[in-house]
Amino acid sequence: MKNYIIRRILQMIPVFIGILFILFFILEQAPGTPVSNMMDPKMTPEQKAELAEKLGLNTPWYERFVNWIGEAMKGNLGYSIKHKKPVLEVIGDYIGPTLLLSLVSLGISVLIGIPAGVISATKQYSLIDNFLTIFSFIGISIPAFFFGLLLLKNFAVDIQIFPLFGLRDPLLNSDNMFVLAKDIAWHLFLPSIVLGLQSTASFMRYTRSSMLEVIKQDYIRTARAKGLKEKTVIYRHAFRNAVIPIITLLGFWIPLLLSGAVTTETIFGLPGLGKISVEATLTRNYPLILGINSILAMLTLIGALVADILYAIADPRIRYD
Amino acid sequence: MKLKKLLSLFLVAIMVLTLFTGCAKETTPETPNTPGEQEQPKEEEPKGDKILKLGNSGHGGLFNPIMSDNVYDDYVTRTIFEPLVYNDPEGEMIPILAEWTLSEDNLTYTFTLKDGIKFSDGTPMTTADVEFTYLTIAHPDYNGPRAYAVSSLLGYEDYHSKAKETFDGIKVIDEKTISFTFKDGMAAPANIECFIYGIMPKHYYEFETWEDFLALNEQPLGSGLMTFDSWEPKQFIKLNKNANYWDPANVAQIDGVLISEVPDESIISALQTNQIDFAQPSASSENLQMLESLDNIHVANYLGNGYTFMCFNTLRPQLSDVKVRQALMYALDRKSFIKAQYGEGLASVGMAPISPSSWAFPDASELNAYDFDLEKAGQLMDEAGWAMGDDGFRYKNGEKFHVNWLVYTDSPWPGTLSGMAADTWKQLGVELEVELMDFDTVASRTMDAEPGEKDFDIYTMGFTLSIDPDPTGALFDDNAFVAGGFNASGYKNAEAMELVKKGKTEFDTAKRAEIYKEWAKIMNYEIPHVIIAYRSEIWGINNRVKGMELGTYFDWVQCLKDITIEN
Repeated sequence: MKNYIIRRILQMIPVFIGILFILFFILEQAPGTPVSNMMDPKMTPEQKAELAEKLGLNTPWYERFVNWIGEAMKGNLGYSIKHKKPVLEVIGDYIGPTLLLSLVSLGISVLIGIPAGVISATKQYSLIDNFLTIFSFIGISIPAFFFGLLLLKNFAVDIQIFPLFGLRDPLLNSDNMFVLAKDIAWHLFLPSIVLGLQSTASFMRYTRSSMLEVIKQDYIRTARAKGLKEKTVIYRHAFRNAVIPIITLLGFWIPLLLSGAVTTETIFGLPGLGKISVEATLTRNYPLILGINSILAMLTLIGALVADILYAIADPRIRYD
Repeated sequence: MKLKKLLSLFLVAIMVLTLFTGCAKETTPETPNTPGEQEQPKEEEPKGDKILKLGNSGHGGLFNPIMSDNVYDDYVTRTIFEPLVYNDPEGEMIPILAEWTLSEDNLTYTFTLKDGIKFSDGTPMTTADVEFTYLTIAHPDYNGPRAYAVSSLLGYEDYHSKAKETFDGIKVIDEKTISFTFKDGMAAPANIECFIYGIMPKHYYEFETWEDFLALNEQPLGSGLMTFDSWEPKQFIKLNKNANYWDPANVAQIDGVLISEVPDESIISALQTNQIDFAQPSASSENLQMLESLDNIHVANYLGNGYTFMCFNTLRPQLSDVKVRQALMYALDRKSFIKAQYGEGLASVGMAPISPSSWAFPDASELNAYDFDLEKAGQLMDEAGWAMGDDGFRYKNGEKFHVNWLVYTDSPWPGTLSGMAADTWKQLGVELEVELMDFDTVASRTMDAEPGEKDFDIYTMGFTLSIDPDPTGALFDDNAFVAGGFNASGYKNAEAMELVKKGKTEFDTAKRAEIYKEWAKIMNYEIPHVIIAYRSEIWGINNRVKGMELGTYFDWVQCLKDITIEN
C-alpha cells in the first residue's frame, strides 16, 4: 500500500507538468494579451508597449513556461497583473469563502443525498421512491441562476428574512465568534441550498442505482437467508459495496469544490475563486489563470489518488501491491 | 409509518446540518455568550445610519491614485486622496489643494499649496509630497496607467531611463511652491488634466523596491475626506470620516462610506430594501421604470461623458469609398436600435466625436444624423459601382460585397446593433458575417495588431472621454494608427490632422470651438469611425441622502462634502 502511494505520487509529477504544458500552450493560442484591455484613452502605444515588455510578454512562450515552472518549484506563482500582488495572496483572498460554501453544500448533499438514495433503492417503486425521484429530477434540471433568483425574490425581497448579497454584514462590529458565525451562516443559507440542491439530487440518483444493483446480488440473498436483520443486510452488507462508485464521485468532487460555484457566487454576490477565475480569463491575467488552474489540476490528481486509497478501505477485495 | 420515518430522517439531517454549519466557522475558542451580548448588534445598528452605502461591483483593490485602473477603485481613491486641481460641475478646473499660474509661454504651471493642509495622520503636506507623487509616476519600474501625466514634461525620458538623477521639468521652489514645465511645443490647455491625481504622503509611501510600494495599495493614506478602514475582496470597502480633515469648514457630514459588492441582478432589489443607499444600474428604460416606481428612491439621470462607436477598416477595398460607408450608415436604423437597446430618452443618435455636454460640441443642425433611408443607401451604393446582382447581393468587378463585424459579448449592445444591421444591410445587398468573441479578442484583432495585420472589416466599442475635447491619440488621430494605438481604421486626412493640432494648442476657448466644429464636420462626412450613440447614466438614490447632485462632470465623490443623511 505504502509503495503504491509513493509510486502514484511519483507518477503525478510528469502528468502535472504535462497538464501545465497544455495550459500554457492553450493560453498562448488565445488571442489578446493582458495589455489589450487597458483602455485608458490617454495611454500612448509606446506606454502600452513598455508595459507589455515589463510583463515579459515579449519572450517566447516556451521560455516563459520553463521560467514559470522553475519559479513555481520555489513556491512563487508570480504577480497577478490586475491585482498587482502575488498570485498566492490573491488566491488566499478568495479561497476561503469558496471552500466554506462548497463544503457546506457538499455536506448537505452527502448527508441528505446518500441516505435518501438508500431509502429510495430499498423501497423501489414505493410512494417515497417516486417522491424522491421526482424531487431529484427537479433538483437536477432546475438551473442554479433561476432557483437562486427565485429564492432571493421570495426570501430577501418580498419577505426580508435573508440578506440579498455578501458573506457577512460589514457594519456588524462584534468580537463574539458566535455572533459572527451566526451572521455568516445566515448569509450562506440560501446560496448553500442552491448549490446543494443539484449535488444532492445527483448523489441520490447515484446511490439509488448503485444500491439497486447490489441488492440483486446473490450474496445479499445469502445474507437474508442466514436470517440477518434487514437493517444489517442493507447497511452492513449492501451499502458498503454500493458506496464504491460514490467514492469515485467524491474524488472528482474535490476540484469542483473550488470551481463549481461560479453561478451561485455571482448571483449571491459572494467573493470566490470561481468569479475571480472568470475575470482573470477575460482580462488575460496569465499568472492568475495559471495559478488557479495549476492548483485545480493538483487537486484533481490528489482527488483521484484519495479515491483509489478509499476503495481499498471500503472494499477489502481491492489490494494494491 | 413510512412518512413518519422519513420526516424524522429529514429532521435529523437538518439538525446535523445546522451543527455542521456551526462547526465550520467556530474556529477560535468559545467565548462566553450571554443573552446580553447576542443583542449587541441590534444596539449598534442605529450607528450605521450615518453611513453612506454604495452598491457596485468590480473593485480591483488598487487603492492608490497613480495605480487605480477602473472607475470603482478611482472612487475609493478619490475619497482618500486629494489632487492639486479638479473640475467643478461645469467641467471647469478649480483649485483643490493648490492655486496655480501659467507662464507666458504656456509651458510652466506653478502651484502654490493652500495653508494648513495635513494628511489624515497629522503630517503637514509640502511640495516634497507633490514632487514624490509625480516622480513615482516617472519611476523606471512604474507599471500603472498614468504615465501620460508626466511623459510630456521636460526631461521625462532622461529620468525614466535612469540617465539622470533629477527630473528637469519638476522644480520644488519652496515648501509651498512647485513648478512643472512641459516640453517645447507641448503647450496645451488639456495639460492641466495632468494634475488631477491624488497627492501621496512621501513619508508613508517612500519605497526601496517597487514591490514595497505596491504592497501599500490596500492600506492607502491621504489627505481626503475619508480614511481607509478595511477591505474584504469582492465583498466591501469601509471608509471612515477623516475627523482630522485639514479644512474644518468642509469636514464630511457623514460618519463614513460603505461600498458593497452587489450583483447586477440584485442592485435594484438592494435599493428597494434599503440595503444600499445609492447605485448605478445600467441605463435602460426597464431599470428606469423600476427605479421610478420605488417610493424610497429618487433618480439622477444625466448624459454620460462618452460614446459608443463603430469602426470601418478603410484599407479594405469595399470600405475605402466614403460613399459605401455612408450607404451602410443610411441603411442602419439607429433610432430603432436606441429604442430597443436603451429606451427613449436614455440615449441619442451620435454625430460628432465630442460629448454633447461639451462646449466644443457643434450645432447639431450642421451635422448629418444619417437618418434611416434605404433608398438613399441604394443610390450611394450604385454610385460607388456596387451593382445589385441576381442573387440579391451587390457585386463590383465580380466581387461580392462581404463584410465581417467583430462583436464582443461582454456587453449586449454590439449584438443588438449587428443583429439589426444583418437584416437591413441584407436588403441593401450586403453580406454581413457577424463574429462573436470576447472583448480582448476584438482589441487584439483591431487596435493591438500591426497596421498591416488588422484583421477585421467592422468592429464596435465604447469610448470614455476626458473633459477636454482634444482628440489627440484617440480614434481619429493619424498617428494612432499603429500597433496598440486607438485608431484602427487606417483613415488618414492631413487637413483634419492640421485642425486637431491647431485645436490642441489654442488657448482661446471660442476659437477652439470653431476649430473643433470644422473638424467634427469632416469626420461626420468621412466617417472612418461612426459615433453610434451618446448614452445617459442613471443612478438610484435613497431619499434619506441629501446633497447628492450628480451630473456629467460631477460624481458622488465630488459631492461628498455636501452629502448629509437624514433619517
